[in-house]
Amino acid sequence: MSLNILIVDDSGVMRAMIAKSLRMTGLDIQQMHQAGNGAEGLDMLERHPVDLVIVDINMPVMNGEEMIDRMREREDFNQIPILVISTEGSDTRKNALTGRGIAFIHKPFSPEKIRDTMNSILGRT
Amino acid sequence: MTEHVKETIYRVAEDVLEKLAFLFSFREDERDHMDYATAMAASVSFGGEFEGSLIMAVSEDVLPELAANMLGIEEQTTPAEQQDALKELINVVCGNLLPEIAGKKNLFNVNPPTIIPRDDAILAESGPRPVAMAKLALEEGQCDIILFVQDGVSLEDLSSESR
Repeated sequence: MSLNILIVDDSGVMRAMIAKSLRMTGLDIQQMHQAGNGAEGLDMLERHPVDLVIVDINMPVMNGEEMIDRMREREDFNQIPILVISTEGSDTRKNALTGRGIAFIHKPFSPEKIRDTMNSILGRT
Repeated sequence: MTEHVKETIYRVAEDVLEKLAFLFSFREDERDHMDYATAMAASVSFGGEFEGSLIMAVSEDVLPELAANMLGIEEQTTPAEQQDALKELINVVCGNLLPEIAGKKNLFNVNPPTIIPRDDAILAESGPRPVAMAKLALEEGQCDIILFVQDGVSLEDLSSESR
């Protein structure tokens, strides 16, 4: 199955790094959409169905936590798997995310970490 | 300045520079701070267990390689890409540094990084006092990282609690 993925991060450099790491995973990726904050991410979801959302936490306009909350409130979005890639170092915030079934990768990350986590999310381990 | 905090800045910065920008760095603790007139600097402020800011200044000559490495391209990078790369770098350094200093149970809110004016006023930029500074040598230049925190915060106490 070809994957459509949405990457949400306010840094264009970080979006490029994540996209490059995804291309190195060997996964069959059809399209990678990008957005610069949570509001743009939700708008992108309205227009492009995706199989996975990768989102940062600290972003201007709408942060990642609020975007995730909005997605969970929507019937058409609440089953989309979410991977948070963030600098967040607090165990409290990380545990709150993983407790909701959201995968978490800490920055800086390696392509191997992205690959392993993606395989786990997609049930390919 | 607290030696433990300084050591933590060195360790986090070296790790992030290597993993995120594929740049090896070497400690230059004895030198004076770098010439900020020939550097690009970014600042990130934070609040939580304590308030403050972190500044990262990098020699202009390092920026093209730094941005190209992070973007994974061989072409010339634009000034906007170089600024974005530096902002992301300091964002990741700050995000990794604060839990190392204050412990992983404490919550911090890190604001979006900004590029600060290129002049020698960097050391007086933030208002709060500088508490620790790391000075690194890179292949094509230098990098200074300065931590400022609000008055009245004892990083020695926070450091011992987080260990």
